[in-house]
Amino acid sequence: MEQVMENKKPKFDKYKAKKLVITLLPLLALILLFVFYIIILNVNDYNIMMNLRSLLNQSLILVLVATGAIFIFTLGQFDISLGANALFSAVIGTLVYKATGSIALLFIICILVAVGCSLLNALIASVFHLPMFVTTIAMLSVLTALATFLIQSQGSASGTSYSINLPSELVDKLAPLDTPIFKIILLGIFILAMVFIFNFTKVGRKQKFLGGNEKCAKLTGISISLFGIIAFALAGLGVGLGSSMTVVYAHTVSTTTASSIGMSVFIAIVFGGMPINGGARSRIYSALIGGFSYNIMTNILFILFQSMEGARDGLVQVISGVFFLAIVFVASINYRSKNLPR
Amino acid sequence: MPNSITRNKGDLILEITNMTKTFGPVTALNNVDLKLYRGDVLGLIGENGSGKSTISSIAAGMQKADSGEMKYLGENWAPKSMIDALDKGIGMIVQESGTIAGISVAENIFLGNLNQFSKYGFINKKELHARANEVLRNIGIDNIDSSMIMGALDFQSRKLVEIAKVIMKEPEILIVDETTTALSQKGREILYKVVKRYREENRAVIFISHDLDEIMEVCDTLTVLRDGNIIRTFKKEEFDPDQIRLSMIGRELEGDYYRSDYDPTHGEKVTIELKNATVKGHMYGINLEAHEGEILGIGGLSHCGMHTLGKALFGAVKLDDGEALVNGEKIKNEIFATKKKIGYVSKDRDNESLVLSASVKDNIAIAGLDIFSIGNFLVLYSKENEYVKKQIDSLLIKCSDSSQVVQTLSGGNKQKVVFGKWIGCGSEILVLDCPTRGVDIGVKQAMYQLLYRLKKEGKTIIIISEELPELMGMSDRLIIMKDGKINKEFLRSKDLSDAEIIGYMI
Repeated sequence: MEQVMENKKPKFDKYKAKKLVITLLPLLALILLFVFYIIILNVNDYNIMMNLRSLLNQSLILVLVATGAIFIFTLGQFDISLGANALFSAVIGTLVYKATGSIALLFIICILVAVGCSLLNALIASVFHLPMFVTTIAMLSVLTALATFLIQSQGSASGTSYSINLPSELVDKLAPLDTPIFKIILLGIFILAMVFIFNFTKVGRKQKFLGGNEKCAKLTGISISLFGIIAFALAGLGVGLGSSMTVVYAHTVSTTTASSIGMSVFIAIVFGGMPINGGARSRIYSALIGGFSYNIMTNILFILFQSMEGARDGLVQVISGVFFLAIVFVASINYRSKNLPR
Repeated sequence: MPNSITRNKGDLILEITNMTKTFGPVTALNNVDLKLYRGDVLGLIGENGSGKSTISSIAAGMQKADSGEMKYLGENWAPKSMIDALDKGIGMIVQESGTIAGISVAENIFLGNLNQFSKYGFINKKELHARANEVLRNIGIDNIDSSMIMGALDFQSRKLVEIAKVIMKEPEILIVDETTTALSQKGREILYKVVKRYREENRAVIFISHDLDEIMEVCDTLTVLRDGNIIRTFKKEEFDPDQIRLSMIGRELEGDYYRSDYDPTHGEKVTIELKNATVKGHMYGINLEAHEGEILGIGGLSHCGMHTLGKALFGAVKLDDGEALVNGEKIKNEIFATKKKIGYVSKDRDNESLVLSASVKDNIAIAGLDIFSIGNFLVLYSKENEYVKKQIDSLLIKCSDSSQVVQTLSGGNKQKVVFGKWIGCGSEILVLDCPTRGVDIGVKQAMYQLLYRLKKEGKTIIIISEELPELMGMSDRLIIMKDGKINKEFLRSKDLSDAEIIGYMI
């Protein structure tokens, strides 16, 4: 039979054009922010290459964690323990690296610990029928406490703060990995793998469907607990890679390492165009675009408010928060306009 | 809303001129003119996506037109929202969910007006619940307590609360958008009484339905829409089902509407069964068998347990006693059911059968991933597109393309998407709870013919429905439920009368 179209297509499809603009908006924002960032660095006589390298380091961790976490957010869930998990796995990875000197073990342990902690979240939620968000709050406390205990017992004190530092020979061993090329390749491979799983496999399709309507997914034969577990495992993989790379470029872990990453990840992916309720319109590239946009924006704000030393951090946070609300509001207008009767 | 309105029968109450509305590439309304008079019950009828809900939702303040003019009581009409419209005199009972699940029935009824129960910042819940109960009882709803949480109610009860919420405000114009399909006979009687009162009080009603018999019975005039245009307005004395159908679809319906044979035979093999199945509060000791090549109809009043029975056959409710079996194996849960090629269409389409924010493609393809993926893992886009296109074509789903978001489709087209999801994946057993709810007459016919074809192919079809003609027209065997139990079983026969069947329902 012939397909029925509601009307003949106009020559210029305004609807599709609007959809395209909305899709490309986060990328456009990233480009504009980047151009503005370069101008500001230039105007203020900052070393551009050094700042770009620093931006890559900042964004690498955020994007790695956010990319994995997209699977959780797609389900409409939220994991507040991402930062604590990154810290804990980095601590264990550092201790193992210090003891063995093996870079491979550093990566393997970081990933195993992060995936294990992440899975524990999902398993507890599944066994006790708790909302996943609740278990991640508990996990945040437990992992932070464990990491703090290990840092204080195994690390060294500097004033009132403690940290575990790598000896210089182990730092030197990490040098080949602490290069922009390696970081970009690692990021590229991880993102491509996640894009593949997300868009080209049954797992990704079911994740998105489940995030769109849990009840409907259940009545379509999709296992809510299984896909919750898969999502948390993939998020753990991102956290593990992120914590390994934190050790690679920082050479130290302290109680503040990755402390704010949980919230930053959430803000970043929304910046990148991720719907806050997850579901079918979730995109992996939101993590990449949002991660860089978020860091560029905070860097710009730090430069703009450099004269307000005392209040600068707070001001940057307030402005980031306002931006975040504005983006969510605009996104929700777009959503509401689609929810009308025909 | 002014209280001192003079209500003279035949006075113009609402006038819509040159109204146009587009949704992306789709023109939902094309320069439409419509007049509504006091004392008139105006029916709007048309195929899915013809513009019925669009025009009424614009009048009710839910969305804005691209162009055109509206006059209500002789003055320009541009409501800011549905609440604004309701306060000023136009209230609408929407097609799907118009209530909030997480709060009580009473809070839903007085949503936006809770301040009247507030003293020193605290809500007087006792008074709120008493007033809400009064509102419910006033229109004849006696089985819902206002302190209940909305989400705990079934679909019909939620719809009844919504009716009460709108009627409480006594709007001058009441818009009923495909509401009766969600209601049992008792619920419908409640609504018909309200419509009758509105006519007698010289208010006005816009009544949208796909049920031609119902709309001819309830309405005084009938306007037919097709593809966003008004085709014709019929006065009561001009009502002629054939002429109305012709105006609706622009062509004669060819072939049978339901199946024409009266042969109830089917295969020997029992494919799905319930043995002594009990879900406390819903159904008790149900024994039922369905065979390959059989269409088994299940009917009854809305609370008779048949909707729960449908879920039990899909493993979607936990049985307190007994078991559900597919080809002799126990149905453990929904995952097991889908693996055994059972498909389930829920009555609560928007909440249980669709991901509204996803595309037509996503919704149709999800049940067929095994068919077009390689190694049970990798999804092939080209095969997927082909698979989805086949369903869109065969079910005549009206969409700009398969990437169109489902929530922008009309009600009937949404239902077709659900159908496509389960038919496309080759379900051997289909459990269909109110499968043609909100579907227009042309598509209903196509669906019935499709179900008959599937029967002939040896599939098992279980139709749960509140539409007796549909059950009688399609079933090989018809089971009537009452109070959670099977009350009577009928075999397909020419001599079967609805009066006889209704006797076992009530």
